[in-house]
Amino acid sequence: MAMDPVFLEIFKNRIQAISEEMASVVLRTGFTVFVKETADFGTFLLSPTGETFGSPVVTGVNLSLAIPGEGVVDAVPEWHEGDIVITNDPYATSGLSTHLADVWLVKPIFADGRIIAFGCCFVHSSDVGGKVPGSISPSSYDIFQEGVRIAPVKLYERGTLNEQILRVFLDNCRIPEQNWGDLRALMASLHTGERRLHELVARYGVAQVERGIEGLLAYAESQVRTMIREIPDGEYVFWDYLEGGAGGYPIRLRCRLVVAGDNILMDFEGTDPQVRAAFNLPSCNKQGHYMLVPTLVRYFRTLDPACPWNSGMVRPVSNHAPLGSLLNPEPPAACGVRAATFIRLMDVVIGALAQAQPDRLPAVGAGQACIVLLAMDDVRTGRHQVGVVQPICGGSGARPMRDGIDGMDFSVGYLRNVPAETLETDMPILIERYGLRPDSAGAGRYRGGCGIELTVRVFAPDTVMTARGMERMRFRPWGRLGGSPGENGTAVKNLGTADAAPTGRIDELLLQPGDAVTFLSQGGGGYGDPYERDADAVASDVRRGLVSPELAQAQYGVVIAEGRVDAAATRALRSGRAPRRSPFVFGPERDAFETVWSDAMQLALNRCLATHPLALRNYLKQRAMEEVDARAASRRPTPPEEVAALVRALYERMDGRAPAGLDGRAAARS
Amino acid sequence: MAARYRLGVDIGGTFTDVMVADEAGAVVATLKTPSVPGAPEEAIFTALRELRRADIATEDVALFVHGTTLGVNTLIERNGATTGLLVTRGLRDVLEIRRLRLENTTDFYGDKPLPLVPRDLVEEIDERLLSDGSVYRPLDPDQVRAAVRRLIAEGVTALAVCFMHAYKNPAHERQVRDLIRAEYPTLFVCASADLWPQQREYERCLVAVMNAYIGRRMAGYFRNLEAGAVTRGLRAQVLSTKSNGGVMSAARAADEPVQTLLSGPASGVIGAAHVARLAGAPGIVTVDMGGTSADVSVVVDGRAAYSTENQVGDFPVIMPAVDVSSIGAGGGSIAWLDAAGILKVGPRSAGADPGPACYGRGGTHPTVTDAYVHLGIIAPDRFLGGQMPLDPALAAAALADLGKGINLGSREIAQAILDVATSNMYAQFTPLMARKGVDPRDFTLLAYGGAGPTHAFLLAKEVGIGKVLIPPLPGTLCALGCIVADLRNDFVHTLYRSDHQTSDAALEEAFATLEGQGRQWLAEESAHEIPLESSFVLYSADMRYEGQAFEIEVAVPGEARGDRAAIARRFHEAYHAIFGVSDPRAPVTFVNLRASVVGVTAKVTRLQPPARRSAVPAAQTRSVFIDGQLRDATVVQRASLAPDGWVVGPAVLEQYDTTTFVPPGYRVRADAFGNLVGEAV
Repeated sequence: MAMDPVFLEIFKNRIQAISEEMASVVLRTGFTVFVKETADFGTFLLSPTGETFGSPVVTGVNLSLAIPGEGVVDAVPEWHEGDIVITNDPYATSGLSTHLADVWLVKPIFADGRIIAFGCCFVHSSDVGGKVPGSISPSSYDIFQEGVRIAPVKLYERGTLNEQILRVFLDNCRIPEQNWGDLRALMASLHTGERRLHELVARYGVAQVERGIEGLLAYAESQVRTMIREIPDGEYVFWDYLEGGAGGYPIRLRCRLVVAGDNILMDFEGTDPQVRAAFNLPSCNKQGHYMLVPTLVRYFRTLDPACPWNSGMVRPVSNHAPLGSLLNPEPPAACGVRAATFIRLMDVVIGALAQAQPDRLPAVGAGQACIVLLAMDDVRTGRHQVGVVQPICGGSGARPMRDGIDGMDFSVGYLRNVPAETLETDMPILIERYGLRPDSAGAGRYRGGCGIELTVRVFAPDTVMTARGMERMRFRPWGRLGGSPGENGTAVKNLGTADAAPTGRIDELLLQPGDAVTFLSQGGGGYGDPYERDADAVASDVRRGLVSPELAQAQYGVVIAEGRVDAAATRALRSGRAPRRSPFVFGPERDAFETVWSDAMQLALNRCLATHPLALRNYLKQRAMEEVDARAASRRPTPPEEVAALVRALYERMDGRAPAGLDGRAAARS
Repeated sequence: MAARYRLGVDIGGTFTDVMVADEAGAVVATLKTPSVPGAPEEAIFTALRELRRADIATEDVALFVHGTTLGVNTLIERNGATTGLLVTRGLRDVLEIRRLRLENTTDFYGDKPLPLVPRDLVEEIDERLLSDGSVYRPLDPDQVRAAVRRLIAEGVTALAVCFMHAYKNPAHERQVRDLIRAEYPTLFVCASADLWPQQREYERCLVAVMNAYIGRRMAGYFRNLEAGAVTRGLRAQVLSTKSNGGVMSAARAADEPVQTLLSGPASGVIGAAHVARLAGAPGIVTVDMGGTSADVSVVVDGRAAYSTENQVGDFPVIMPAVDVSSIGAGGGSIAWLDAAGILKVGPRSAGADPGPACYGRGGTHPTVTDAYVHLGIIAPDRFLGGQMPLDPALAAAALADLGKGINLGSREIAQAILDVATSNMYAQFTPLMARKGVDPRDFTLLAYGGAGPTHAFLLAKEVGIGKVLIPPLPGTLCALGCIVADLRNDFVHTLYRSDHQTSDAALEEAFATLEGQGRQWLAEESAHEIPLESSFVLYSADMRYEGQAFEIEVAVPGEARGDRAAIARRFHEAYHAIFGVSDPRAPVTFVNLRASVVGVTAKVTRLQPPARRSAVPAAQTRSVFIDGQLRDATVVQRASLAPDGWVVGPAVLEQYDTTTFVPPGYRVRADAFGNLVGEAV
C-alpha cells in the first residue's frame, strides 16, 4: 500500500463521518414512513467515475454498497457546480435505481474547477404514482404501471430550481407534499456532504483528497483480495427458486461462482427469463451491482468487521447476468418487488460460497419479507382505512458455531414491527397471537431460528387482506452439512375451527367479522447432523417450548423424560446411525420437483427459450413445463436434449392463428 | 445545631466520589475513596467516617443524595434475580421478538440479545382488554395462582406483569399484583402500567422486566444503606439520583429501581449544566471521557436535553432520561495495526486491568494514555496526585514495538495514535450532532472525566469548536450533579386521539390528572423536610399528523393545556422547524400526553473548596512532542493558576485527578468560579 497508513485511517474516519452525517440529516428531517420506520434510504459519496467511496454503516438500509454511479455520470452531458440531478428510472440509469419508488438525487462536488466527487442519495418514496397506492404491486407487468418515470434530469441547474420538472414529478404522485419534504431532506444531506468535503479539501488540498479517495477504494480492495485468496479456486454452482411464477412454477436463480486467485466471477447463466410480474431486478449487469453482491460484501464484513465499507470491496467481483433474464431484464419489465429476488439471490450465493468454504457460511433462513396489509371500513367511524399489520420474516439459518436467530433473518434484518397495541388502536382487529413458531426450525448440530406465528382476527365486515412477498411456501429454507431444512411457510384461515383452510399465497382475501388468519412462517435451516447436537441444548429447547419432546426424539435422537435428558436412552437411540454430512438438505418438495427438473433439464429449457422472442418466453416456459410434467406423470420422461424440439413445436403451434379447437365464435366471445 | 450540609455521593466502578456543600451554597469538601463492588454502601460509610474527621458530622447533613451504578451493572453483568413474567395469552414471545430489527445486518455470525426472562419462565394468562380498555376476556385468579406457583417452583424470586392495553386500564395488572403481594409476600412484583403507562407492549414490558430483574438487589442495597447511615447518625432522608437527572427517595428507588438505570451519566450532565449556567455558557456539548468510552450530551440554556429513545446495555428504555450518547473512545483504547498495516485505535480497551502499558500491570498493548505519557502530556510521576506512578519506559517500549510495523518511531506513532483517536471521535461525534440538529461550532465544549480535559482541545480543534470549558474538579461532576439535582418525576398518559376525536375538556382533564399525580408525588417525596425553593410542572405532548407513523414532542405551556388549537399551532411550528414544511389545516393526533414535576432545590455557587495555600510552584516548562516537533509547553499547577491571566498553548495544566492539555492555537484562563475557559486564538 503506497498510501500513508496513518493518513488513510484518519481520512477513512472523516469520510465515514461525512456519510453517516449525511444519513443522519435524512433521518432527522426525512418525512415519510420509509425514512422513519424502516430507514429505507441511503446516502453516498461517489468518485468522479462513479465508485462509492463513502457509505453509512449505522444508518439506512446498510445494503447499498457498490452503487453503479457511472450510468448517471455519463447520462448528463455537462455537469456544473450547483447542479442536482433527479432520477428514479432503472433503465435510464443503468441500474443506479432498481425500482421507481427509489427517488435519487446526484450532485457534483467541485474543487479547483473540477469534479472531485458526487454526492448521491435516495429515499424509498411511499408513492410515486402508478396503478396502486404505494406504487408497488406484485402483479404489475410493465414499469408504466409502477409510477412516474424520470430519466436523469437536472432538478437544479447551477443552483436554480427547474420548477417544471418538479411539477411534473409531484403532479404524478399521490403524496406530493411528503415527496417534496423528502427531496428537501435529501438536498440538505447533499449540501452537508459537499460542505464537509470542501472542509477536507481546505485542510489537505485537492490532490491529497483525491489520493485519499483512491487510497480508500484500494484499501478495501486489498483487504477483500486477501480474503478471496483464502477461498479455494474453483467453480461452485448453486441455484434456488422464487415461487409463484407463471402457471405456479418456481422461478429459478442460478449462479456459477468462479473463484480464481483473488477474483470472483458470478455467472448467472441459466437464471430464468424475466417475468410478467414485478420481480425483475434491473441490475443492467453492472459489475459488482449492489443488489447482486450483498452476500459477498456481508460475508467479507463478517470475516473482517473493520474492512472499509466502499466499492473497493467489489472491484475483485465481476458478474454476468444474461440480458432478458430475471437479473437483467429488458425494459419495460416491472421491478417493484425486486426485493424478493435479491433476498433469494443472497441465498443462492451463500449456497455457492458454502461449497468453497463449508465451515464459514450459514444455512439459509426464511428468505422472505412478507408485508401483510388490511383494508376495511372502520365500523365506528365509517372511514375507509388501509394499514400494514406486520412485516413477517422468519428464522435465520443456523451458523457454523451457533443456532440461527429466532424470528428474524439477516437479509431483511433492518425491518421493524409495529406494536400490537398500536395496531389494535388503529384498526378494528385483535392480534391473538404474535410469537415464535415451535417445531419450525431446521434441526441440526446448530438449529435454525424459529419462524413466526401471527394470528389476526378482524371485526369489520368486508375486510380485505393482501400479503405481498410470501415465499418459501413450497421449497423449504435448506439445511447444510446434514442439517435439516426449516419448515416451509403457510397461512391458514380460521385455524383450529371446523372450516379451517389454508389460504395459499394470498393475493386478496376477503374476511368477515370473527374471521382469523394465522401466518406460520419459515424456520431457518439447520447446520450439521442433528444427532451431534448437545443433548442439553435440545432439552433446553424442549423446556422453552420451541421443540416438542416428540420432535426431539425423532429429529435429534434425544429422549426427554420428565424434562430431563434420558442419557442412556439417548445414547442408545443415537448410536448406530451413520453420520449425516450431505452438503445441502433441501427437503422432499424440492427433491421431487428436481427429479423431473434437473439442472440439465432447466438449462436446456432456458437455452432454447433464449432463442425465442422475449415476450413469449414466460408463456413458452409454462407450456413446456406443463408438457414435460404431463409426460413424466404418464411415465414418459423427457431427456434434456429433446426439450428444444418440444419448445419449437409449441412455438410453431402458436404462430398467431387460433389454436386448434377454438372456433371463430369462441374467439370473438373471449 | 441545625443540619446544614448537602452531601453528594457518586459511586463509580473504581472510586466513590463525595462532595459536600454548606448552606451558603459553597463546596466545602471533596473526597475520593475506593469503591467496594460487593457492598457499595461500605464506601459511603468510609466516606462518612472521613468527613467526620474533617468536622463534617453526619448529623449535620440536611440533604443526602447519592447515585449508584448497581442497577445498571446488575443488568449489564446479567446477575439479577431469576425473574418470571406474566403476559396476556398470545404474547409469550414479546421479549424474544422485540421490535424485530437486528443491530447489525452485515454480520452473519451476529446475534440478538438474550432476553432477561427465558421463555420457560414466561406464563400466559387468560385475560384480554381491548384498545379502549374494555374487558374482552376476564381474568381468572386461579389460573394466575397456578402460574405463579409453577414459576416459584422453578426458582423465580421476582415477577413482572405486563398485560395488553394496561396503559389504558390497569385493572387486570393491579388485580394480579395485589393477589401476588397478598399470597406470596416474599416475591418482588411489579406491573408495567404502574411504572410507565405508555402504549407499546414490548418497551413497557421491558420496563417492568428490568425493574423486577434488578429490584431485589437494589431494594436490599437501599435497605442496608439507610439502616447503616441512620446508625451512623444520619437524620436526613436518603435520596437517589434518577435517569431523568432528578432525585427521588430511597424508598421509591427501591420500588422503582428502573428509574436509576441511566442516573450515572445523567448526574454528570446535570452537574455540567449547572457549571455552564454559572459560567454563562448558553450552549454546551458535554464530553465525559474515561477509560473505555466518552459520553456526549447537549445542554442549551442550562437545561439538559431529554430522550425517550435511550439504550441500557442491550435494551431500549422509553422512560425519559437525560439524552447521553456513548462514543467508543477512551484513554484505555488500544492501538493496533490491521492486516494491511493501517493504524487503528479501539474499539478494544485495556480498561483498568491490565490497563495501559504504563500502568505496569502487565498490559503490553499501547493505548491512548501511553501516547499521552510518551509525548510529555501526562507527567508519569503526578498521575492521581502522584499516588499512582506510571512507567514511561513501558509506554515507550509498547509504542516502539507497534511503530516498527509501519516504520514509525515511538514518538511519531504516539502522535499518530492521538490523531487517529481524535478522528475516531470526530467520526462518531459529528453524525451524532447532526441527528440532534446541532451545529457544535456554535457551542462550548465542556469536558470532564479522567481523560476529558486531556483530549478536549484536540477534539475541539478537529470539530472546529472555538470554546472549551473545564470545571474546577472534572473528576467530581457526578457528585456535583447529585447536590444540585432537583426532585423530578415524569408522567405519561397515552391518549391516541386526533383533534376531531377529542375535546378541549378531555385534554384539560388528562393533563390535570397528570398534574395531580405529579403534585402528589412531590408531596410524598418532600415529606421528609427536603428544602425546596419552588416547584413547577412542565407539560408536553407527542404529536403527529393523522395517519403518520412517527411523533414529535411539543412543549405545552400550562395555560394552553386545555386548548387543542393552541397546542396544534405549536405542533405545526415545531414541525416546520424540523422539516421545513407543515400543513396547518391537516388534522393532528395527540399520541401521548406528558407532565414532568420539578421541585427545585437550592443550588451551589462556589464549585470547589478553598485551596489550601501551599507554596505555589512557579510555572515550569517541559518538552511536549506535538505536530511533529518537540515544543516547550508551559506547565502550570491548576490550583495556582492566577485569575484572568492567559496561558497560551502548548500548555499542560495539572491537578489531582486529571491533566488538561492545551495545544498550540488555543489559550486558557481561570474564571471567577475556578473553571478553565479556553478559546481558539
